[in-house]
Amino acid sequence: MESIQLTINGKQLAGHRGQTILEVAGENNIDIPHLCYHPRISKTGACRICLVRVNGTMLKTACTEPVIADMDVVTEDAEISQIRTGLLEMLLSEGCHNCLYCEWNGECELQRLCQKYDVQEPSGVFKNRERTVDTESSNGLRRNENRCILCGRCVKACGEIQMQGVWNFTGRGSSTTLTSDMFAKLGDSSCVMCGTCVQLCPTGALSFQTVLGRGQAWDLKKETSVCIYCGVGCQIDFYTNKEGQLVKAIGNENGPNEGHLCVKGRFGFDFVQSDKRLTKPLIKKNGKFEEASWDEALDLVSSKLTEIKSKSGPDSIMAFSSAKCTNEENYLMQKFMRAVIGTNNVDHCARL
Amino acid sequence: MLILRDLEVQSGKNMLDIQTLRGVAEEMNIPESDVAGFVGFYTMFNTKPRAKFLIRVCKSGPCHVMGSTTIFDAIQKHLGIGIGEGTKDGMFFLEKCECLGVCSVAPAMMINYDIHGNLTPKRIVSILNSYKKKKPSLMEDCGKEVEGKTCVINEPRQTKRLLENIGVVDPLRIDSYIGKGGYESLKKSLAMDPSKIIDTVKDSGLRGRGGAGFPAGMKWSFVGKGPVQKYVICNADEGEPGTFKDRILMEENPHLLIEGMAICGFAIDASLGYIYVRGEYRRSIERLQVAIDQARKKGILGKNILGSKFSFDVIIKEGGGAYVCGEETSLINSMEGKRGYPRFKPPFPGGAGFNNLPSNVNNVETLMSVPLIIEKGAGWYKSVGQPNCSGTKLYCLSGKLNRTGMVELPMGATLKEIINVYGKGLPKGRKFKFAQVGGSAGGILGKDLMDLPLDIDQPMKQGVTLGSGVVLVCDEGTCSVDFLLQILSFFEHESCGQCVPCRVGTAHLHHLARKFASRTAVPGDIDLMVEKATVMKKASLCALGQSPIMPITTMLKYFRKEFLQHCDPKHKCPQCDRSLSRYYAGGGH
Ligand SMILES: Cc1cc2nc3c(=O)[nH]c(=O)nc-3n(C[C@H](O)[C@H](O)[C@H](O)COP(=O)(O)O)c2cc1C
Ligand code: SF4
Ligand code: SF4
Ligand code: SF4
Repeated sequence: MESIQLTINGKQLAGHRGQTILEVAGENNIDIPHLCYHPRISKTGACRICLVRVNGTMLKTACTEPVIADMDVVTEDAEISQIRTGLLEMLLSEGCHNCLYCEWNGECELQRLCQKYDVQEPSGVFKNRERTVDTESSNGLRRNENRCILCGRCVKACGEIQMQGVWNFTGRGSSTTLTSDMFAKLGDSSCVMCGTCVQLCPTGALSFQTVLGRGQAWDLKKETSVCIYCGVGCQIDFYTNKEGQLVKAIGNENGPNEGHLCVKGRFGFDFVQSDKRLTKPLIKKNGKFEEASWDEALDLVSSKLTEIKSKSGPDSIMAFSSAKCTNEENYLMQKFMRAVIGTNNVDHCARL
Repeated sequence: MLILRDLEVQSGKNMLDIQTLRGVAEEMNIPESDVAGFVGFYTMFNTKPRAKFLIRVCKSGPCHVMGSTTIFDAIQKHLGIGIGEGTKDGMFFLEKCECLGVCSVAPAMMINYDIHGNLTPKRIVSILNSYKKKKPSLMEDCGKEVEGKTCVINEPRQTKRLLENIGVVDPLRIDSYIGKGGYESLKKSLAMDPSKIIDTVKDSGLRGRGGAGFPAGMKWSFVGKGPVQKYVICNADEGEPGTFKDRILMEENPHLLIEGMAICGFAIDASLGYIYVRGEYRRSIERLQVAIDQARKKGILGKNILGSKFSFDVIIKEGGGAYVCGEETSLINSMEGKRGYPRFKPPFPGGAGFNNLPSNVNNVETLMSVPLIIEKGAGWYKSVGQPNCSGTKLYCLSGKLNRTGMVELPMGATLKEIINVYGKGLPKGRKFKFAQVGGSAGGILGKDLMDLPLDIDQPMKQGVTLGSGVVLVCDEGTCSVDFLLQILSFFEHESCGQCVPCRVGTAHLHHLARKFASRTAVPGDIDLMVEKATVMKKASLCALGQSPIMPITTMLKYFRKEFLQHCDPKHKCPQCDRSLSRYYAGGGH
């Protein structure tokens, strides 16, 4: 790839043809504020927050402007800060933002930028238009469009990543709003609850049902794990609160899933901490399950298996193991079936 | 767009109900949200029932100045409905709309797709009564006063080039056009080397007439090369309030446009041309379609045109009521069946336009100039106009003049000449206050600039653009605050809403203008307005959001005092009162 030399904030850097200013800056740990840009979707160029100065004069959006040789980029100066502040003020006055009541408090990209640029509370001269609040119709997702900055990330997340096309903008100008399907409630829409839109939303306009009331963003602990449901092996960042309760699952962008999850990976973690979960072996005695010790249970299984094997032969037994076990456990399972029982009748739910 | 428009007419209520739209989504195999998004963008469509006849009264600059509020009054009196209301019998529904492109006969309105001008309270009644017996139709039935050729000012002598054959050629008969030497330039071009054609256009100094004034030949030379499909796109969206030139050209001489497009197509190796016509221009669309059909029959369009190796065809695409779709990349998105959002540049249409393939977008007037240049040469073309701004320009005169209409003058005509000679001055007893040049996206010129040559470059130095050639004259009876209110409400209504500065900024500016109009503003609001418009100018994605600063600063330059007066709650302003009570009564903006 053709290498391109350019300067950003006085630093001599190298990019290559086809890259944007924002991409080269990102690779070099230079932070250019942005809201509508997200690496996983096509470019929008509409929030205008990432305006930077090119060659001392022009203002260009870093997220769309391709790098060219000897370009001289400045990512912040007095005028740029003033514009960014002006834009953020506009965004705040367009919506209704009270972080105290927001699920995404502490993780919101709008909040972070407003703090960075010291944006004051809107004066109240300009009234915001009430937009849709729909926090109940869907089991997984919450929508409070009064916090929406119309960046379009959700539209593209659903259209380009999940390919479901639930979201789009409707209306125009200052009366632009989101629509799910054709003005349907989220719960009645064709949403498959993959949660990708929520994950990409920079504000608290879209959030998960599981988040509310389960701790502050800054108190959550993150642990990266692998999804247990299928063979893709999506990487998931699980967040737990101070009480150790699982709060949310966010797709890890470095995994094979590149951040994407399906409804099972996204929401299917409640079993982990369910009080219905078995913690001791149960043996059915006189038609009823009764708690038993591990020794008792294993002895029973081994005697039954031996009995079946000798009466009906090893091929009358089959094992079906679970994705919720580790690879090592699954290996042991098939080894046991082949070496101890003597059959090839093994299968696994992740073969689906 | 076409399917939806047909469905809306068939509904008999000027509506698209959700069930029908779901069917469209399923039929086309696209997400429902795409259809909802599309319908929601274009003002022509509505998912709520309206009525058998939809009345849209224009409130843009020229109509407003000529008294559109009185038209709303008359309708209210006759039918008992205000904006956003329908008659109980389901016959009529009233909406306000932006420019209909018949500004010389302002005030105007459109009933379904029929445009009527020169409205007076009395005329309104007879027009409305005539509709009570009519059936809605897809065809147009416009009033005689909006006929293209009647909107041309013929006296005194002008440098008629584009207008030479207006009223002479029968727009519905190709033979009439050919009899006047039509399609000879195309023949001549087909025998030329394409690069020579581009050189000739470059040499002529022809600059785009759509508003930006980019040199046409240079634009053609930037179109991507190589063995891919390329397109010629004609921008006939003409939405800039006060502009009606393209409509007249298309209605009266459609073959000249086809010829210009074919020459451009040959020059840039494009075998397909699209004309994007605003949906309101039914007559233009019908006449263009007749012309295209005739040209196809004659072998002027289609495979191997005029016996050459070159194939070229033209297809019409219709707009759905969105000013922003005149912006070339928004127009391309609209052609692709999307919401009319402008695209960020680069890439430019010449590299990746329609269907992401190389496309050349030009205005109607620009493309129609091409056959003349090929026929008579670059030297002839340059013989009039200004050094960097050659040829003639169509100026659209409207407002408080004794004579309104379109004139063709060498580039750089002055306000003085236009008003006094062609407009025959202001009506008796009226005094000139200011002229709006370039439309809403242009600016205000006062008495001091009567001698400024109105070409592409010189007004720029005064914070004004010539744009599409609008000259709207306002007299002493026009309140500057009220006038700015109309401009700023236009911008809020027409912003696509994609980018933050324009989506929010246009709403804020409109709100501030309303504060002045209702005399609840404070002097600091003047600075606030300028501050907002400045952020918009610097940060907006397309020229729409970059424009409001122009009318604001030029208006303030002359009439800051009036704005300060409007900060006093006791200040009397009947004009502002009328606008507020007329346009804002039924909610909306
Ligand atoms: C908001 C907006 C509206 C526009 N409307 C029109 C229009 O109605 N007709 C037109 O020809 N150009 C319009 N333009 C200019 C086009 O973007 C483009 O510059 C033009 O079609 C190029 O043609 P030209 O080079 O022949 O002028 C508009 C631009 C903007 C930003
Ligand atoms: S959860 Fe997934 S399917 Fe549902 S709207 Fe969001 S991205 Fe689309
Ligand atoms: S909901 Fe979120 S992602 Fe979607 S447009 Fe609003 S702020 Fe952007
Ligand atoms: S400037 Fe206005 S019209 Fe242009 S892209 Fe931005 S919001 Fe849309």
